[in-house]
Formats: sequence, structure tokens, C-alpha cells
Amino acid sequence: MDTKSEIFPQRLIIAVLWNIGLQTFLAIVLVFVIQIDLLHPVTWVTSTLNDIFGWKMALNIVLLGLVSFFQAYVYGSYYIIPLPKYFTRFSMFLNMFSVQNVMFSILYALSGYFTMGLYSSLAKSNYNILKKKCVHYDAQCLVEQSLFLQFGGMWMGLYYFLNIHIFGTTMLMFPHIYQDKFQQIKLAINNILSMGFKNSVIPVVYYCLFYYLWGNKPRSVVSEVYSLYLEDPPLDNLLNLTSSGIWIGLWFYTSLFFVSVYTMRTIFNIILTEPMKFPIESKNSLMLHNALALRTEFNGYLGAQDLRIMSMTDPSRRQIIFTLSQPGGHPRNWNNLLEQCLNIINGFSKELDAVNTDGKPAETENPKLRSNGNMSPTTAFNYSGKIRNMAASPKFQEIRDQNRNKIEDSLSNMVKNEINNLIQKLCQKPGFSYLFGELTDTKLKYLLMQSQPVMWTCEGLACIAAASLQEDKFGVVQNDLPIVISTLINLKQNLDKLTKPGLVPRRHILNDTLAIKMKTALISSVKRSIYKIAITFSKYIHEIPLEPDIQIALQPFLMCKEA
Amino acid sequence: MSAFHGFPDLPGPDEVPLCKLNEVYCCGNTQYGNISTFTNTTKGHPVINVTRDIHHHRTTDENISMYIDVEDNLLKKITSVWYKQGFLEALGVAADPSVNRESQVLALAASYVLKVANVFTAFRYFLQPHLKDIGPKIVANYSRTRNWGHCPIKCIAWHPHTTKMAVATVDDNVRIYCSEVSFVSTLKCKAQGHVSSLSWRPFSASELAVGCEQGVIVWTADPNSMFTKPSSSNAVVLKRPGHSPVTDVSWSPNGDLLISCSGADTSMMVWDVSMETAVPLRRVAGGGIVFARWSFDTSKVFAATSSIIFRVWDTKRWQPERWCARGQRVVAACWGPKDLLLFAAKGEPMIYALTNTGLMSGSQTSKALPVLDVTKVELSSGEAVGGPILDMCWDPTGRYLALLFEESPLVAVFCTTHLMMQLKITPCCFICGIEAEVPSTMAFQQNFAEGACLTIAWSSGRVQHFPIIYTDGY
Repeated sequence: MDTKSEIFPQRLIIAVLWNIGLQTFLAIVLVFVIQIDLLHPVTWVTSTLNDIFGWKMALNIVLLGLVSFFQAYVYGSYYIIPLPKYFTRFSMFLNMFSVQNVMFSILYALSGYFTMGLYSSLAKSNYNILKKKCVHYDAQCLVEQSLFLQFGGMWMGLYYFLNIHIFGTTMLMFPHIYQDKFQQIKLAINNILSMGFKNSVIPVVYYCLFYYLWGNKPRSVVSEVYSLYLEDPPLDNLLNLTSSGIWIGLWFYTSLFFVSVYTMRTIFNIILTEPMKFPIESKNSLMLHNALALRTEFNGYLGAQDLRIMSMTDPSRRQIIFTLSQPGGHPRNWNNLLEQCLNIINGFSKELDAVNTDGKPAETENPKLRSNGNMSPTTAFNYSGKIRNMAASPKFQEIRDQNRNKIEDSLSNMVKNEINNLIQKLCQKPGFSYLFGELTDTKLKYLLMQSQPVMWTCEGLACIAAASLQEDKFGVVQNDLPIVISTLINLKQNLDKLTKPGLVPRRHILNDTLAIKMKTALISSVKRSIYKIAITFSKYIHEIPLEPDIQIALQPFLMCKEA
Repeated sequence: MSAFHGFPDLPGPDEVPLCKLNEVYCCGNTQYGNISTFTNTTKGHPVINVTRDIHHHRTTDENISMYIDVEDNLLKKITSVWYKQGFLEALGVAADPSVNRESQVLALAASYVLKVANVFTAFRYFLQPHLKDIGPKIVANYSRTRNWGHCPIKCIAWHPHTTKMAVATVDDNVRIYCSEVSFVSTLKCKAQGHVSSLSWRPFSASELAVGCEQGVIVWTADPNSMFTKPSSSNAVVLKRPGHSPVTDVSWSPNGDLLISCSGADTSMMVWDVSMETAVPLRRVAGGGIVFARWSFDTSKVFAATSSIIFRVWDTKRWQPERWCARGQRVVAACWGPKDLLLFAAKGEPMIYALTNTGLMSGSQTSKALPVLDVTKVELSSGEAVGGPILDMCWDPTGRYLALLFEESPLVAVFCTTHLMMQLKITPCCFICGIEAEVPSTMAFQQNFAEGACLTIAWSSGRVQHFPIIYTDGY
């Protein structure tokens, strides 16, 4: 079980290595292009080679390595924990200033500074050093252009950080088909280059504006610290700025910086989202159902993805699921897998229901499932194996809970109620409700953002069920078909409530389109899963013992009438 | 010996073939003959006849005179052209002296910019000559429908699970005919022009992908809704720059991925429809991808290019296996059971089979073997049949193969049996139209339990269901 947490760091390291390789390649290409000299090709090649094997390049690689390790760390810390839950505007605002974010912004600014400096030194520009000898008198003078560039580097680092990590979603998007790494990089490179050069225009404009407004402050500070004089016309004048042409340089280096960070991002995405094969049965490595149990963590994603791929394309591993364990003859593999899948789907259903009922008490949430203890998916797995644990039976639990409640029902509850009421009243005031009011759509959005493994699980489960008609010799899966069907139908009914007016996420929230798309994707995949089972088993559907309301809900699927 | 030896004789001049029941070829009178005298299996099937009068009004030359010409000011004209047709067209308007009489400076400037732009376009066409054709021309060139631009029915598609059919007509509307309900939904929106292909999403009741000039439109036509005209809010338009006109769309048999191909684009798009994202698949050489076909078990995708190259993609790793046809591009291909692929090249009366011969020898090598030679012959009744193949359909069980020929008004149906790794093709029957009708396009019904049902769209706009029924005891 020790491999549990290793997959993610391993992949990060691979990504860093790939990244360093690609960044070096980028730097070499840059050197090669900048020194183009068609008239003297020999000197061109030799000087390029000299530069490539020079100390500058080595330093560059070391620094790029550091930067990419830092990036890996950032990505790791953003991806490995589930998305932060903030349901009020105030907490969202506070979250922007967390220690982590402040630290990262500083680190990003530094990395922007270094990367820009490196590229400008590789490009052999004159604006690497802050000091120069004054022309008119005997003293040190400030090269404001290099100051402009260096501050620009920090600015770009910050800009990127804000744009991607604070205002953007740091969600790992798994591609729907996975090609080789090389193919993906080849496909992405065009896009990265054009995006880099295009997206760098706006921050350069912002930075020029910023420098126009506040440029004199850093300049005076720097010249005071180093006791430098200013000789050239100051750059916080629009005319001087345009005529000096340094903004072109800034745009070029910013584009390079963006190309470099986009490359990193792409590489991380490609390597982290690579599908992974988990064994169904194994002694020492992470098994599929263990991976699924990690739900929202990275391994949970990989597990769900693998479940789907396995159920669609891998008959040999499916066969292992359908086998019985050797001593005993229990369908252990299937039971483990099913338990985790149902946990994922039911957990999501429950949370969805909580959003739908607007945070009403969760006890009344699914009376449907409670009605029939034998069949209901939530209780069926409280009994592990064949033996029923009387102490854990739902009836007993209820009795116990009631007893406990009676004791605690006293003064403390009254105080709590009072405070709650006060908060409720306060929250209804316009200003407060804007800041502290709970946003239902944010909750829904947060839930939907995590729905990717649920989709995969539904599809995977449906595919295994459909394949079982042909491949399952012992009828391992057929036993549990009612639970699978009722779980999927239950999720579908909960999802249907979302499409009712009033609960659809409001338009003005950031990245709203993504949430809407996730919702349609989820609905579509759940429906397809139900269709898959219904159509495959259409001939035998009446022999499956289903509850009457599930049967009614399944009817439109059998008749192909469910949109 | 010709492949057409052993076919039953064509019916007389007043009769048309109606069905085939257990080896009996049933024909009926052109006017009074009714298929229900032979079989009830197609009783519930929708009766489709696309005549000219059900077409919606299009802005053709005849009715354009109804509209009064409004004189807009220049800026408005240019912006509207820019909005609707693009920047270059707007430049053309600005440079046109007959439209732009007010601002000579603008006209001069626009004409110079246009000249520069033309140099670039000329250079681009020099590099990529296949882009020269405009949209509809490309589609017409690669379409498997006879006379795609002018016949009343452009393409048809059966739903994979129910008796429901989508028909794209010449006015670029898509109509959905169901077996149980009498009303016909019409799918139509502004973006839907030059419809080239239709594909129903498997494991879904209502989703239909329409390949058209701009891209792919995925409609969700709710079967429970009584609105006969779903609005464009029920449609998602999937577009990619450079990926136009779409010449083929096909859903994966699992219903999760959609592949769209464009004869003018060298990459094939694999869409995740609900997220509206596409992954382009591209390899060097071959030109535009004309069409793609999924194998039944989704493990492979056949992709035909506009040159002699075609590829078989493995969907696990998404890596292609490259093949070359002998003469010209592959014009039609279909997968059968057990990953058997039949294909035909343009202008050649030969069908090839691509099979995995690896099982016998132990190695995973595949081979393309000619399996059927359909050289043109003249039948005793005087009809010509055979010749270059236009389209090819294989029924979902892999028992019947229907062929359309470029130069023959007949549809030839063959029986195919797959025994001991050998494909045996035997004659079944011919289907001919009434009088001068020629078949435009055809499709096998996907859920016909009694055998196979071939649906043929004739050039007159009539749609015929031709059931081939067999009982196991026979």
C-alpha cells in the first residue's frame, strides 16, 4: 500500500524532467534564431555552439530547473488538495490573501524576474545591468531600460499568477482521448507559440500604464540605493517610452516568458493526466478499488478514469472482475469495486440533494431509499459480507440517536438557536448578505467541478454491467444489477431537479460556462449509462427485481423516449 | 464469371421490387403494389416522400423579387457584410465602386489592402491547393450521395435503437420521422447549410449530429416534446477554424466521442460534445480527411483521406496504421462483425476486405484482399449494372451488403457469410426504382429484428423501405 501517495510526486518529477528538456530546447532555438547570420553560416553555427555550451546556458538550465521545480511544487499543492470550499464572497476574498498565495505570488514574481533576465541575456541584449558609466561626468548612471525590464519580469510573473491561479480555475482537465506525449506536445506547440505572443500584449500595455503612473518611485529608490545618476530621458513619459523602443523588447521577452510558462503548464497537464493501469487483484500495489476510494484526490481521478477505460476496452481485466475468489468462491473483486463505485455515486447524489433542498436537514433526504431496507443501496453495504451486524442496523442507530438527542436538548441548544437567529437576521441586511450570504450556485459549481470522476464511474459501471451479459459466467454482476440501476436512476432524478428554473447557476460567476458544461456532460453521461444498461438488458428487464418507482423511471429509457 | 450471375431477374416494366421473404423475391405493381400484402414488418415505418412542395421557402432567384431593396448607408453595409461574411468580403464591398460612391479614399485604401490580401491567398493556395474549392463544391465532390447538390434528399440516418429516421433535404432542413408519432420535427437553424452527413448518438434518444458547412451541429430533439420545430437553443454548434466544410460526422458506438472530418482539413477532430472540446488527430501526408468509420467494438477507426492514403486508427493509443489504395482515394468503407472492413476505391469496380490474418500465423499482420469484382455488365433485360462504386452499406448483422454504382440505376444487394475466417459473397437481389428514378443514398435500419431493412432514397424524393426477411427455420 506504500505506492498510494507516490504516483503524484513521481509524475511531477517526470514532468519536471520533461520540462527542463523542453525549456532547454526552447532556449537553444532562441539562441540559434537570434544569432542568424545567413552571410556567414560558419560563424553563425560556431558562435551558437559556443553559446550553447557556455556557462550562461548552464546557468540558464540550472535556473530553469529551479523554476520548474518550484512550478511543480505549486501545481502539486493546488492539485493534490480538493478545491477550496468558499461559499461566501467574504471567504472567497479572504482566501485570496492566504499565506500560501502570498508566498506563491512572491515566488512567481521572482521566477518572472529570473526568466526574463535569462532570456534577455541569452538574446544578448544591452539591458542586463543596471549601471553604466555616465557619458558626461565621472560617475555611475542608471540604465533605466534594464530597470524597466526587470520590473516588467516581476510584473509578468505576478500577472500570470493572478490570472491563472487566483481568477482562473486550477482544475486538472483530463483530455477525452489520450495520445502519446510527443504527439500532444507537437499539437500543442503551435498553440502555445501563438497564445504566448498574443496574450502578452495586454500585460505589456498594463505595465506601460503602471510605469507611466508610478515608474518614478522604483527608479528613485533604486538610484538612491546604488547612488546612481539619471542621465537619459526618464521612461515614465509616454513619448520617451515609445521612442526608446524598450516596450518592443518587453513584449518579446514577455512572450518568451509566457511561452515558457505555458509550456510548463502543458507538460504538467499532459504528464499528470496520463491514464494509469491499476491492477484489479494485487498483493503489494494500489488496486483499482483502493484508488477509487480516494475519491476527490488525484489517485481517485486516475482510478475512475482507469475504471472507464478498462470497462470499455480491456476484456482481460474485466474477466478478473467476473471471477470468484479461489478459497471461498466469493465475487470479492466485484464487490470491492461495486462498493467504491456506489460510494462515489451515492456520495455525489447526496451532496447534490443537499444543494437541491437548499441545505434543509439531510435526514429527510431520500425516503425512497429507506423504504426498502433490503434493496436500498445506502444500507446494503453496511453489512459487510454475509453476516449482518445487528448493532449497526439502521433501526438501532435511530434509537440510539434519539436517546442521545434527548440528553443534549437543553440550555446550550437555546443559546445556539438565538445566535443562529441573530446571524440569520444580520445576513438579511443588504450589505451583509452580499458579503457573507451563502451562495447556492457556488456550492453547486464546486460540486459540479468535482463531477468528473462521477461521470467516469457511472460510465464504467454501466459498461461492466453491459459486458457482463456476455462475459460474466457466474452471474456475479447480475446479482447486483438492481442496486446499480437504482443508484443511477437516483442520481439522474437528482440531476433532473437541477434543470428546473431557479437553481441554474447564475451567469455572472466566474468560469460559469465551465460549470454549465460540466453539468450537461454529467447529465449526458448518466443518461447514457442508464441507456446502456436498459438497452443491453431490454429483453430481460422484467426479470430484474426492481422497486416499482425505479421501474417506472426506467420505462422511458426502455422505450427510447428519455431525451 | 461475373458477380452478377445468379441474381433473380428484374421485374417487368410495370413492377417494382418490394421485399425479399425467405429467398422469395416479391415484386408488385408500380401503382397498386403494396408491401403490406407480403409482410407487416414495415407497417409502422414512417412513410416519407420528400416532394418539392414541402420545402421551406429559400431565398432563391424566384422569390427574391418579393423583397424590397433597402438602401443602407455605407458604414452599415460594410459592417453587416463584415459580420455575416467576414473581413475580406467587407473589404470587397468597400473597394467596389458601384457600392461605395461616397468615400473615394476608403475605396482606394480598401482596394490596396485587398490586393495585398490576394497575394497572401494566392500564396496559400499555392501551398495548399486543396483549399481552393469553396465549401459546397468540396462536399459535393466527396459526398457519397448521387448528385448531392440537387437531389431532394441529401442524406439519411437511422437511429441505432428505435425506428426513427433523420432525413436531410435539399433545403438543408433535417426532418425526423418516427414510427409511432405522426408529426415530423424539422430541425433548422441559420448555421445549418450544406448538410453533408447525419449521425444519431448511440445510447441516447434524441441527439443528432449534423455535419454542415460551418461545422457540426448537435441537436437535442426531445421525443416527448410536441414542438415540431426545435429552436436553435436545442443545438450546440461545434466549430474549429480551418475545419470546414464538414464532410462526415460519426459517433463512437459507445456514444461518448464524435469524430468530424473535413475534406479541406488534414486533421480529424475527436469531440467531447458536452465540454465542446476537440482533439485534432493529424499525421503527415494524405490531404484532407474525407470520412471516418468506427468499428463495432470501438477499437478501431477507419479514416479515408482525399488521396490514396487511408488510415486505421487504434483507439487505445490513438495511433494510426497507414495504408495505400491502389488507384484513387477510398470512396466507401464499412465495418462488419469481427473487425472485418470492406472498402472500395473511387473509379474501380472492386471491393477489398481488410482482415486481421494474424490469428492463423501468430503475427499481427493485416492484409487487403479483393473479395468482389463488380465489373460493369449488361443484364438480359437491358439494364447496365456494376462499374465504379458510389456507396456501400453493410447491415448491422453482417449478412447483407448493398452497393450503389456510379453508372447504374440499380441497387445491388449481396448476401455475405463469414465462415472460417473466409468471407463468402453470394447474390441476393437487385432493387430498381419506378421509371427513371435513380437511387441517391441508402442506409440499413439498425434495429430491424426480423432480418435486414434497406432504406433507399430515390432521386424523386421517394423513400423506400426494402425488408429482407429470413426466419431461422428456413
